[in-house]
Amino acid sequence: MDAPVDSQLPDRAKAPPSNWFLNPYVQIAIGALLVTASELLLWRGAQAVVQPMGIAKWLGIDALASGWTWLGIITYVLSFICWIYVLRYVPLSIAFPAINIVHVLVPVGSWLFLHDHISPMRWGGIALVLVGILLIVGPVARAEGRL
Amino acid sequence: MSALAITFCIVCQFLLVIGQLFLKHAMNGVDLTPRPWRRVIWNFAAGVGALTLWFFLWVGLMQQSALSRIFPFEGLNPALLVLGAWIFLKERLPPAAWVGVLMICVGIGLVTAS
Repeated sequence: MDAPVDSQLPDRAKAPPSNWFLNPYVQIAIGALLVTASELLLWRGAQAVVQPMGIAKWLGIDALASGWTWLGIITYVLSFICWIYVLRYVPLSIAFPAINIVHVLVPVGSWLFLHDHISPMRWGGIALVLVGILLIVGPVARAEGRL
Repeated sequence: MSALAITFCIVCQFLLVIGQLFLKHAMNGVDLTPRPWRRVIWNFAAGVGALTLWFFLWVGLMQQSALSRIFPFEGLNPALLVLGAWIFLKERLPPAAWVGVLMICVGIGLVTAS
């Protein structure tokens, strides 16, 4: 297969801004931290309300009654703004696996702050998922350098 | 974890991938000349719509399960998204990266079996 080439890619995708803060990969890192915070806050919000019954229990609308949920929504919107900016400059095949670093950050965060129990087997599965993500991101990142 | 919860987790991942594909399609159009605004706005709205559905289903799942149990399902996303980007955005991955996709699937199998 050829290196990843998207015929629809705008020229700007090949020349990101020189300002470090506007670097799309810095924005991916900021976005990952915001998503991690959002996931933890949303979980807090989901746990803070009375458990509904029936079909409503599968939709989290009642969680909007919690302030934690709204904080989670705010951090999620901020991460979304970062993500829209990243999508303008980076191919989706690179950006999406890269932001999956949240698969490390969220379990570690839930273990540290929410005291979730994570079995050794589950840790192994999470590690395998991460190695797989690295195998995707590595070759694609090298291919991007050839664009 | 019940079969229904696992099904909803997988549906969540498809919604997320579909939303991301629409958003990327929209952003690809932003810098084209002339700007295809109608296409950009429609794709952006479709992306936000899919992500909104994903959001509420995801929060609902959070009420039913521990975060560390449902979150590894998102490991499906890179595989689904790379496939989607290959089909719909014409992005290509080197063959070695597909090994990574397989590892992700095995890792998810371990997580859900534990």
